[in-house]
Amino acid sequence: MIPRGTITRRIVRRTAISWLVLSPLLVLALLPFAVMLSTALKPLPEVTAFPPRWLPSRLAWQNFVDMWATVDFGTGLANSLFISLTATLLTILVSVPAGYAVSRLPFRGVGAYRQFLLVTKMLSPILLVLGLFRMAASIHIGDGTLVDTRIIVVVIYAAFNIAFAVWMLAAYFATIPIELEEAAWIDGANRLQSVVRIFLPLSLPAIAVTGIVTFVGSWNEFVVALTMLRDPSRLTLPLKVVNLVAGRYTVEWNQVMAATLLATLPVAVVFAALQRYLVQGLTLGAVK
Amino acid sequence: MSLSLSAPAGTAGRVRAGRLRLTLAPWLLILPSLVLTITIIGYPFYEIVRLSVSDVSRFGLVRGYAGLTNFSTVFADPIFRDALLRTLTWTVGVVGGTIIASVPVALVLRRDFIGRGLARTLIMLPWSISLAMAAIVWLWAFNADYGMINATLQQFGVLRTSVQWMAWPETAFPVEILIGIIVSIPFTSTILLGGLSSIPNEVYEAASIDGARRLQTFRHITLPLLAPFINIAIVLNVISVFNSFPIIWVMTQGGPDNSTHILVTYLYELSFRLGRPGQAAAVSLAMLAIVFTFTFVYLRLRVPEEA
Repeated sequence: MIPRGTITRRIVRRTAISWLVLSPLLVLALLPFAVMLSTALKPLPEVTAFPPRWLPSRLAWQNFVDMWATVDFGTGLANSLFISLTATLLTILVSVPAGYAVSRLPFRGVGAYRQFLLVTKMLSPILLVLGLFRMAASIHIGDGTLVDTRIIVVVIYAAFNIAFAVWMLAAYFATIPIELEEAAWIDGANRLQSVVRIFLPLSLPAIAVTGIVTFVGSWNEFVVALTMLRDPSRLTLPLKVVNLVAGRYTVEWNQVMAATLLATLPVAVVFAALQRYLVQGLTLGAVK
Repeated sequence: MSLSLSAPAGTAGRVRAGRLRLTLAPWLLILPSLVLTITIIGYPFYEIVRLSVSDVSRFGLVRGYAGLTNFSTVFADPIFRDALLRTLTWTVGVVGGTIIASVPVALVLRRDFIGRGLARTLIMLPWSISLAMAAIVWLWAFNADYGMINATLQQFGVLRTSVQWMAWPETAFPVEILIGIIVSIPFTSTILLGGLSSIPNEVYEAASIDGARRLQTFRHITLPLLAPFINIAIVLNVISVFNSFPIIWVMTQGGPDNSTHILVTYLYELSFRLGRPGQAAAVSLAMLAIVFTFTFVYLRLRVPEEA
């Protein structure tokens, strides 16, 4: 038997080594957050003071109030929320049935369908952005086109997320024992009932992970929004923030950092809370 | 219920009807996804193919068939050639750096130590910042006069004077590659970590009973079992890094003097700034050809031998 003390010492040593190995990366991973926090809380004169310091002399919470007005943060937030939520909902609505078909109902053409999804995964929006723009411009609604509407952005996000979502859901669905549904059939339930009462509740974790990945992807997306959206009342948060920096002579960095911080924190909290599920979920999706 | 897709029992007629519904059902279930992807991805693709062989005006008006003129113009364009080479450097640099950094990270995060949950969360955090915003934050951090990078490096005596990081391609592009690596590590180490957790502990116990050293265990057990996951990570990263737009667009817009353009940023400029849609479409197709060739060749070469 190994004495207890040795085990404790081994764990302490391993802990020290692990944190030491991770430290350079941790510094780089946390640096953006430190920069955001430091600058977001500085009074304006200290932002451009030389030499710059990490710690502000006082906490200038006013930056957040000013930023909210300059960035028109509320509008950006509402647009980002609307676009990301709707895109996520659409993706899930379309992908759950498809994932069910792929994993539960063997059909001729399932291989071709999976291949097709793989191909769409390789066609990233940036490569098609010119075609997407021309497509939107050619569809007339009311007295305008689909350019500069939120709905076209939603539909594009959903379309490009389907491949990942179907893959991921099908991989998870395959791990739910079919016997559970069969038991329900024997008890007189039809397929739809067994799906709604047994299958869907069991697949909620996978649906949640897929939904979160889609949501965050849409929340952070840049190039499609940049191409499609023009009017300030329809811009998403990343665009609102980039517009504060791109092509400006004077940039109020404390406000910009306050905006990036406020836009990032909710997502960071969600990631931190769900990190464990993401590891499990993505592994399933990536390998199957 | 009329919506029942297949009742498991019944008379012969009902079974036949059930069969028919069974063959139709999967198609009905995948139909919405097919409609959405074919319209939103298929149509723009067709449009790009059409533009690439057309004579297109600045404003996007198709004036006629142009054969392969767009392609030959683009391939003769020195900015395109430079961007192509730079895209290679960018992709190999970012993906290579990401994999090299992520394997040890995943190995460390797999072991049990005090605060592992916290460490995992902290490593994953950069994932939550949108690329465009991350680029803005780094742009500010690398600001020559007021950025914290110069200030901190000078404080520790690494640098004597402020460096104009983003003003010169020699520093701007490596900085962009470094940021590309930092933002790619969370996803990559997540996949590798998942791969490592799929290796049963018994394998390691058996190896240690057989007296395997740590390096031997790594080379002969961990690495081969991790290889499929590394391959997946390489393929997914190559596709996303090759197509990655926000970092370079926000930090340098391909400048100074076109010296940090990669294909995607040049493609965007051709499409929406320089008014050369025909050539932009040609660049799109060239890039698609590269992505497809890479993916298929790589999967052919690497995956069967491990499966």
